Amino acid sequence: MWRGLEAILRGRDAREGWVFAQRFCGICTTVHAIASVRAVEDALQLEIPANAQYIRNIILIAHAMHDHIVHFYHLSALDWVDIMTIPKADPVRAAAIADGYSNWSGNSHQELLAVQNKVKGMVAGGQLGFFSHGYWGHPSMRLSPEMNLILFSHYLQALDFQRKSAQIVAILGGKMPHIQNLAVGGVMNAINPNSLATLNMDRLAMLQAILENLIPFVQEAYLSDACLLAASYPEWFRYGRGVTNYLAVPDLPLDAKATKFDLPGGVIMNGDLSAVRPILNWQDQPFRTAVAEDVTHAWYQGAGLQQPWKGESDPDYTDFVEEKKYTWVKAPRYNGHPMQVGPLANILVGNATGHAGTRKWTDTAFKAISSVHGQNVTLNDMQSTMGRHLARAIRSAMLSDIALEHLQLLQNNILGGDDTTFNPPEFPQHEIMGMGMHEAPRGSLSHWVVIEKGSFTNYQAVVPTTWNASPRDLQGIPGPYESSLPGNPVADPEKPLEVLRTVHSFDPCMACSCHTLDATGQEITQVKVL
Amino acid sequence: MTPIWHDDTLKHVSVLGIGNVLLGDDGFGPLVVEMFRCHYECGSSVEVLDLGTPGLDIAPYLYDRDLVILIDAIHMEATPGTLCLFPEDELISHRAELHLTGHDPGIQESLAHLKLAGHAPRELIVLGAEPQRCEFGAGISPSVLTAASAAIVALARLLKERGVSCQSRHPSIQPNIWWLPQGSPASALA
Repeated sequence: MWRGLEAILRGRDAREGWVFAQRFCGICTTVHAIASVRAVEDALQLEIPANAQYIRNIILIAHAMHDHIVHFYHLSALDWVDIMTIPKADPVRAAAIADGYSNWSGNSHQELLAVQNKVKGMVAGGQLGFFSHGYWGHPSMRLSPEMNLILFSHYLQALDFQRKSAQIVAILGGKMPHIQNLAVGGVMNAINPNSLATLNMDRLAMLQAILENLIPFVQEAYLSDACLLAASYPEWFRYGRGVTNYLAVPDLPLDAKATKFDLPGGVIMNGDLSAVRPILNWQDQPFRTAVAEDVTHAWYQGAGLQQPWKGESDPDYTDFVEEKKYTWVKAPRYNGHPMQVGPLANILVGNATGHAGTRKWTDTAFKAISSVHGQNVTLNDMQSTMGRHLARAIRSAMLSDIALEHLQLLQNNILGGDDTTFNPPEFPQHEIMGMGMHEAPRGSLSHWVVIEKGSFTNYQAVVPTTWNASPRDLQGIPGPYESSLPGNPVADPEKPLEVLRTVHSFDPCMACSCHTLDATGQEITQVKVL
Repeated sequence: MTPIWHDDTLKHVSVLGIGNVLLGDDGFGPLVVEMFRCHYECGSSVEVLDLGTPGLDIAPYLYDRDLVILIDAIHMEATPGTLCLFPEDELISHRAELHLTGHDPGIQESLAHLKLAGHAPRELIVLGAEPQRCEFGAGISPSVLTAASAAIVALARLLKERGVSCQSRHPSIQPNIWWLPQGSPASALA
């Protein structure tokens, strides 16, 4: 991640770091805000009230569901779905196919017919606009016109559910994007079950209603569609394996002291899914000593590994020099090894540690793929391009259950008479160091801070996309993206759709850039921040 | 926040600032939104929001709106600080580039999605200023700051022309431009 961030954060009051951190990236705003307050709380050894944990957790889950839905439908479905075949589909047959693999209520043939007519109008009128750049008619597109119609109708329905998950974040966070309710020490939501102006029973009921509306889309449409894709393109369980070291960090703390978590963390090495080293909590000492960033091939001064608390980010731009420096992305390493992070790591660690929710939804997906579609998928197959897509859908279904549970925990706690949301921080004069973790939609995120007299003296963020998009390190070992591409088939070198399939499966975050519009509406990227 | 229940008798309007506040003049949109909020008061059917750089996450803020005004830094090869209005057709007539270029999808894509789904905004206007420098931590250039002052007057006029209630605040609120580099004269913005 290209910084300049230290330049902005050094000398700033440690209580306001999160306000800046959530501007690192336009899409992952919330995740950086959370990691930032957790880092400062860790430095202070400050626990936060249980209510604050639950409120933060519900925000994080809503953000993750939103992010995964948008990624699957709007950022990657058209790698697999050819919308130009939709005019040929039979909507009645499509509705029957949809009913055969999904309980989702939005699959009536009238709805499918309406979508088909819109697509027909768009194609006939030559008004393809944004859709004109797809790889339509590509030999690697294999779904029937009916399946393309079903998936594209969910693509459009997803817009509504994207809104609903944003509403949850807005109700608790006060504003979306860029939540306003965080504080080092907890959250700033006032709780009073009987007051109209605070987080009260009405608000909790509203959150419950939105979640109950959103969850069927996640569990019955999204997960079923991911299973359909998996069964229709089974060879993609053989491609895109890449780095098979996996890292997930524990998240969704269940108590004020953060001793128990609803999402397990752990480390898996060399694709050995039976051997996991669990990361039980945020104090995990091996994690703190294992993480370092290598700048050998990145445009920063120096070479070799730097521990994040001691990290410097002084730019040294050289243009693209393949054998030397070629990217702004640093190479994070775990005990010197590249790691894959993201929903797949999350799901593999969850299965290896016996996490009930992960196992339940993994089994649900595998059973659907075998009983409905007649294909057998194993956990080992998940280490692939298709596995990453399927893992994201499994994670969404699992998280949506947990969202309801944490809403219930919050409600029980409030009804039990606990209305505290904030423990005030006190900063010592001497230097303190802290690290905040979050298992974000794109994978493990950690913020590393050094504070003196209440102000930052160093600030480093090790973000999921730098783990996955990591360049080579001093030993020349590539990161997950780079090593996932050899062996991918490419049917037409002029149209490398298959490369996109694998790169998109990691959910690369490419939004942390300065984007302005030029007068013709074309986007110009000034600075690429990953 | 996105209204959950709409009063259907009023025009539903979004005034949206786009840009990264940490990247100098790229923060033009959020700056205008903060200044506008402090100098004008609109009805409850108007949301005035700093969206940062939302990519596809802009869709919920365009969904079913009667009017959307986007405020953004725009490269138009003009003198820095030049203020321009673009109607929607000029914005979307230029096709989005291939995903392969690494440009993140955003406004055009969200509009295309919402059109197909039948939830596109009825009118969309872009209010843009030519930036001087979009560099990390650079703060706002004087010419772009001047453009921001002109932009809030233009915004008020655009809303009033469309029958949307928008009144000057007396007294105005002090804008909170928290992201400017430490020591910069934020008070000059009041």
